[in-house]
Amino acid sequence: MRNPARLAAGVVASAALVLSGCASGGDDTSASDEETAASEDVCESADGDGPAIGLAYDVGGVGDQSFNDSAYAGLSRAVEELDATCAQAAAQAGENDADREERLRTLIDGGYDTIIGVGFVYSVAVYNVAPDFPEVYFGIIDGFNPTESQKDLPNVANIGFAANEGSFLVGAAAALTTESDNVGFIGGTNTPLIQAFEAGFNAGVEEVDPQIEIQSQYLSQDDPVKGFENPAGGETAATGMYENGADVIYHAAGKSGLGLFDAVVQAGEGNWAIGVDSDQYLTADPDQQPYILTSMLKRVDTGVFEFAQGVAEGNPPSGYVTYDLASGGVDYSTSNDALPTEVIEQVDQFKQQIIDDEIEVPSEL
Amino acid sequence: MTEPGASDGPVPAVQLAGIAKRFPGVVANHDVDVEIWPGTVHALVGENGAGKSTLMKILYGVQKPDEGMITVDGGAVTFSSPGDAIACGIGMVFQHFQLADNLTVLENVVLGAERRHGIGAGARREIMRISQVYGFDLDADELVETLGVGERQRVEILKVLYRGARIIILDEPTAVLVPQEVDALFANLRELKREGHTLVFISHKLDEVLAIADEITVLRRGTTVATVPPADVTPHDLAELMVGAELPSPSRGDSTVTDRTVLEVRGLRVEGPSGRVLLDDVDLVIRAGEVLGIAGVEGNGQTELVEAVIGMRPAAAGSVALGGTDVTRWGTRERRAAGVGYIPEDRQRHGLLLGFPLWENRMLGHQTRPPSANGVWLDPAGARADAARIVESYDVRTPGVDTSARSLSGGNQQKFIVGREMSGDPMLLVAAHPTRGVDVGAQAAIWDHIREARRRGLAVLLVSADLDELIGLSDTIRVVLRGRLGDEFDPQDVQPQQLGSAMTGAAADTRG
Amino acid sequence: MSLARRVLLGATAPVLAFAVAALVTTVVIVGAGASPGEFWQVLLSAPEARYYVSIVNSAAVLYLSGLAAAIGFRMNLFNIGVEGQYRVATFAGAVFAGWAVLPGPLNTVAAILVAMAAGAAWAGIAALLRVTRGVSEVISTIMLNAIALSLVAYLLQKVGSREGQTYVTDAIPRSAWVPSIPLIPGEISQVYGLALLALVAGVGFSVLLRRSRFGFDLRATGESESAAVASGVDVKRMVVWAMLLSGALAGLIGMPELFGASHAYGSTIQTGIGFTGIAVALLGRNNAWGIAFAAMVFAYLNQQASPLSIEADISTEIIAVTQGVVVLSVVIVYEVVRRYRVRLEQTEVARALRQQRKEQGVAA
Repeated sequence: MRNPARLAAGVVASAALVLSGCASGGDDTSASDEETAASEDVCESADGDGPAIGLAYDVGGVGDQSFNDSAYAGLSRAVEELDATCAQAAAQAGENDADREERLRTLIDGGYDTIIGVGFVYSVAVYNVAPDFPEVYFGIIDGFNPTESQKDLPNVANIGFAANEGSFLVGAAAALTTESDNVGFIGGTNTPLIQAFEAGFNAGVEEVDPQIEIQSQYLSQDDPVKGFENPAGGETAATGMYENGADVIYHAAGKSGLGLFDAVVQAGEGNWAIGVDSDQYLTADPDQQPYILTSMLKRVDTGVFEFAQGVAEGNPPSGYVTYDLASGGVDYSTSNDALPTEVIEQVDQFKQQIIDDEIEVPSEL
Repeated sequence: MTEPGASDGPVPAVQLAGIAKRFPGVVANHDVDVEIWPGTVHALVGENGAGKSTLMKILYGVQKPDEGMITVDGGAVTFSSPGDAIACGIGMVFQHFQLADNLTVLENVVLGAERRHGIGAGARREIMRISQVYGFDLDADELVETLGVGERQRVEILKVLYRGARIIILDEPTAVLVPQEVDALFANLRELKREGHTLVFISHKLDEVLAIADEITVLRRGTTVATVPPADVTPHDLAELMVGAELPSPSRGDSTVTDRTVLEVRGLRVEGPSGRVLLDDVDLVIRAGEVLGIAGVEGNGQTELVEAVIGMRPAAAGSVALGGTDVTRWGTRERRAAGVGYIPEDRQRHGLLLGFPLWENRMLGHQTRPPSANGVWLDPAGARADAARIVESYDVRTPGVDTSARSLSGGNQQKFIVGREMSGDPMLLVAAHPTRGVDVGAQAAIWDHIREARRRGLAVLLVSADLDELIGLSDTIRVVLRGRLGDEFDPQDVQPQQLGSAMTGAAADTRG
Repeated sequence: MSLARRVLLGATAPVLAFAVAALVTTVVIVGAGASPGEFWQVLLSAPEARYYVSIVNSAAVLYLSGLAAAIGFRMNLFNIGVEGQYRVATFAGAVFAGWAVLPGPLNTVAAILVAMAAGAAWAGIAALLRVTRGVSEVISTIMLNAIALSLVAYLLQKVGSREGQTYVTDAIPRSAWVPSIPLIPGEISQVYGLALLALVAGVGFSVLLRRSRFGFDLRATGESESAAVASGVDVKRMVVWAMLLSGALAGLIGMPELFGASHAYGSTIQTGIGFTGIAVALLGRNNAWGIAFAAMVFAYLNQQASPLSIEADISTEIIAVTQGVVVLSVVIVYEVVRRYRVRLEQTEVARALRQQRKEQGVAA
C-alpha cells in the first residue's frame, strides 16, 4: 500500500463504504428535520410519573414519514395522556441480535420499564432479554416468537397488524379509481411482512375488477437499507410503472415511498399514489398532496399507545396482539378531498364485509 | 554556425553554464555547458543514464540545479516549477503523451491554460490558427482517443505552442513513431524553426539527429563532452563520443573459458504485445568461465534478450538451454533456482524492494533456497547473517542490515545487488549495466568480483553501454542491432571505433 | 536508527492520528449543534462489565473481516467483496450444518470448512476475472457483492422456512453448537466460543506473512510488482491465491455468531461487516497487531453508540462519522510519519558514510 494513488483510492473507497452504510438516517426533507427536532422535545420535556417507555427503532428511525414516525406519534400520545417519560434509541447499520440486545439492556439500565422494539428485527433480541427482566414489559411491533418451544413469555407482547386487510381497502380504492385499468405495487423488501401488503392489495383490486392489470416490484430481496431507505430506487420503480400504463401506485416501502411521491408529481394529473402506515397526505409536500389518493393506515401509534396504556393500567398485554380492521388497528384515510364519495362509500362497504367476515383477505401471496 | 540575429550581437536563446545536480550517491550532471541559439534545432545525445533527462528536467523547472546558471535570452533565471519555465517561453513535449483520451483536442489543449484564450470561441480560433500556420492538420473537436500516435504528438506540440512557448524541448519524440511519421514530424519541426522557434531535440538515434539538428551536443556520464555541427561528423564519430573512446581500463587477465556449455540460445525470437518482433533469430553460447559481452545502442533488443534469458519474457520461437537442460518453458523462479543470478538494468524497479530492509532484500530472487529459506519457511536469521556478509565483503556503506534499501545511495544499492546475485554459486550471471551510475571505486570493485567469479567457472551474459567495461571484461563481444545478434569481436584487438560502426549499422569498412 | 527512537516514532503516529481525529470529531459535533462535552463524557466513560463481552465479540468478528481485507491489501489487491463472500460463506456453512450429515463437533468443523471454501470460491470468481480477462478486482468484487446479496436472499426463501416475518435455514443441531466462554463470571453475556477463531486466524496471518515464502512473495508483490516478477514470483498465481485466502478468511466472519448465538442463517443476519473490515484493515495498517487494535477501537465505538443516543441524545450516526475520521487521520498521519522516517533514515545513512570516510582518512 505504498503506492500513493492506490492508497488514496483505497481510502476514498473504504471511507465511502463506511459512510454509505451509515448515512441513511435523517438527512432528507425539512419535514423530517422538524420531526426529529420534535422527537427530542417530547422525551426531554416529559417528566410525568406514568410508565417509563424506552423506544428502540430499527435503522433509519424517526423521519421516515411512515412506519417509525407513526410509532413516535404513539409515544407522544402516551407522554401526553399517560404522563409517560421516555427515551428513544436508533439502530446503526449492520447490527446483529447481540447489538440489539445491548440496546435493550442499555434502555433497561436507564430505568425504562416499558420497552418497545419498533420492527420485527427486535424479536430475537427481546426474547433473549425478557426472561432476565420479569418486571419489565416488552412490546415488539410486527414481532414474532422466534423460540423453538414457542412458549409465550408473560412480559412480551407481539403487536401485529392485519396489513393485508388495510391493503385490501386501498386496493379496492385503486381499482375504483384507475382509468387505465392498470395499477402498481412497490414493496421494500421481498419478505413475508411486505408480501402481506401485496396480497391484500391484489385481493382488493381483484374484488372490484379481476381484469385490472397489477404491476409489482420489490426494491430489494432482503436488504432493509436498499428496500426502505431508498427514495431514488422508489422513484425509478414508480416512474417505470407509470410509463408502463399504471395510474395508481401503492407503496409499502417506508422512506423509499417518498420517491413514489416525486414520481407521481412528474407523471402529472390523472396519476395517483397511495401512502402507507401513516396518513401520508398530511405529511407530504404541498405539491405532492393532491396526488396522494389515500393511505393504508397501519396504526402503529395505536399499538404503541395501547401497549403503554396496558402497562400503566396494570394490565400488560402479552402473546400475540393483532390489530385488524375490526379493532381499528388498520384502516384507510380519506383526508384528500380528491377521493370521490362514491369510492369511499364502496370501500366502506368492503370494510364492513371484512369486519363481518364476509370477505376473507389472504395474508400470503 | 547560424548566427540569427539580434542587432546587438548574438545572444543564445538558452545558455546552461556549469550545471551540476547530485542525488544521494550519484552525480547526475556536472560541468554541463550548452549554448542553444535561437531559431535552431539543437540535439542532445547520449546513452541512457548519461544525464540527458535530468538536464531537461532542470531546464523545464522540474528540478533545481545544485550549481550553475541558466540564462534565457541573455537574462539569468531560476525556475522552481514548470510554471516558471512556461512563463519564460519554455515548453516540453514528453515522450509519454500527457493527454486525456476522452476529451477533444480543444479540451486537451485548453486544460490548465484556460486563462490564455478562455475555453470557447477564442480558444478554438487560436488552436485553428496554430494548426494552420504549422501544418498540423488537427480538428479541434475530434476526440483524442480517435487520433493516431503522430497526431497525438502534434496535439502535444500544439499544447506547448498554445501556452506561448518559443523554446520547445522534445524528449525522444521519435521513439514512438514509425518512419513515415518521423518524416512528418521533421517537416513540422522545420516549419517551427522557420517561424523562429528554438527546438531542443533529445535522442539517441544518431541518423535522425544528423538529419534534423543544426548543432549536436553529446553528453557522457553526466557532463557535456562536445558540441559539433552535424556536417562534420559521422554516426560512428558520434557513437564514439557517446560511449567514450578511451582505452579499456579493466584488464581481463588470462582466459578461463572452458568447453562446458552453460547457456545455449537457439533461434530465439521475442515479440511485443502487438506482435512486433523485438528480437529474432538469436543464437548464442556461453561456456563456463566465459563472459559474453553484448554491445549495442540502447533499444536494439538488449533488454528483451536479458528478459528472455531470465524467463520474464516468453520466447515466441527458439529455445534456451541451461547446462544442457531445455528451460524454454520454465518460469523465472525455476531458472533462478537452477543457478541464474540476475543484475537487472533498472535496479530500483527490478532489483530491490525499496521499502524493505536490506536483510529482506537479501531474500529477493533467492526465496527458494538457503540461506533465505528452509522449505516453505523463511529463515530470517540466515538471511540476516548473509546480508551482513554481503555488506562486509562488498563494502556496502550502510549502518546495518535493518536499513531500508531506499535509504542507500545508488552505488551501494548496486553493490548489494551484485553481492546477492553472486551468492550461492550461480552457474550463470545475467548482468545488465552492472556498473551504471556507480562511482569509480565501486565500479572497480564490481569488476573485480565478476572477474573473480569467472575464474571460478561462472558464465556471464554482460550487457553494457560502456565499451570500456565490455572490452575489459568480455571474452567475446557481440553486437546487437535491430533485434538481431550480429558480428562477433575479440576484445583483445577490437577498436572502439569498430564497435561503434557495428552498433550504428554504419558501413563496416573500418573493420579489420 | 536507535531502538528508542524507533519506538518513539512508532508511538507518535497513532497518538497524533487520534488527536487529529478527536479534534475533527469535536468540530463536527459542535457543527451539528450537539454538546461535545457530553459526547466525550459518554464516549470515554468506562462501559459496564457485560459490555466488554459484547466488545470482545464484535471485535473478534471485525478482526476476521479486517484480516480478510488486509491479506489482499498487502499485495495491492483490493478485495472490496468481503461482504459478499461473508454472506455466501455463512449461508453455505449454515445450510450444511443444518443438514446435520455429520455428528456433533465433526459437523461444526466440516461446516466451517464448507464456509471457508464457499467464501474462497466466491472470491475466486473475481480472481479468475482478473487474471484471465484483466478485470479490476475492485469492480468485480463490488458487482459480486450485489449478486451475492440477492442470490443468498433468493436461496434463503427456497431452502429456508418462514419464521415470523423472516426466513431462516434449518437450525443447527444442538450437538454442533459451540459453547460460549464466560469471560466475566456471573454475567449473562458470554464470549462466542468461536471468537477464538480470530486468535487462530491472527496468528496464522502473522506467521504466513512474516515467516513463509508465500508471505514474502505476497508482500514483495505489494511493494513492487516489477521486482517481484524479476525475482521469480508468478503474479497471476499470487493474485489467485491471495484472493482465495481472503475469501476463505471472509468465510470465517460469520462463524462465531452462527455457532454461538443464532444457530441458523436468517434474513436478519448482520450486514456491512465486510465493508467495516476494509476500514479496520486500513486503520490497522494491514498488520496483525494493528488490525487487532483497530477492531477493538471500532467495536468500542459501536458499543458506545447506544448510550450516546440514550444518555446524551446524540445521533448514533456521529459514531460512524468518528470512525471515518479516525481512519482518514490514521492514513494521513502515517503517510506523513513514514516520509519523515525515510528522510531521517537517509540522513543517518549519510552520517554513517561521512563517519566511515573520516575514519578511513585518519587511517590513511
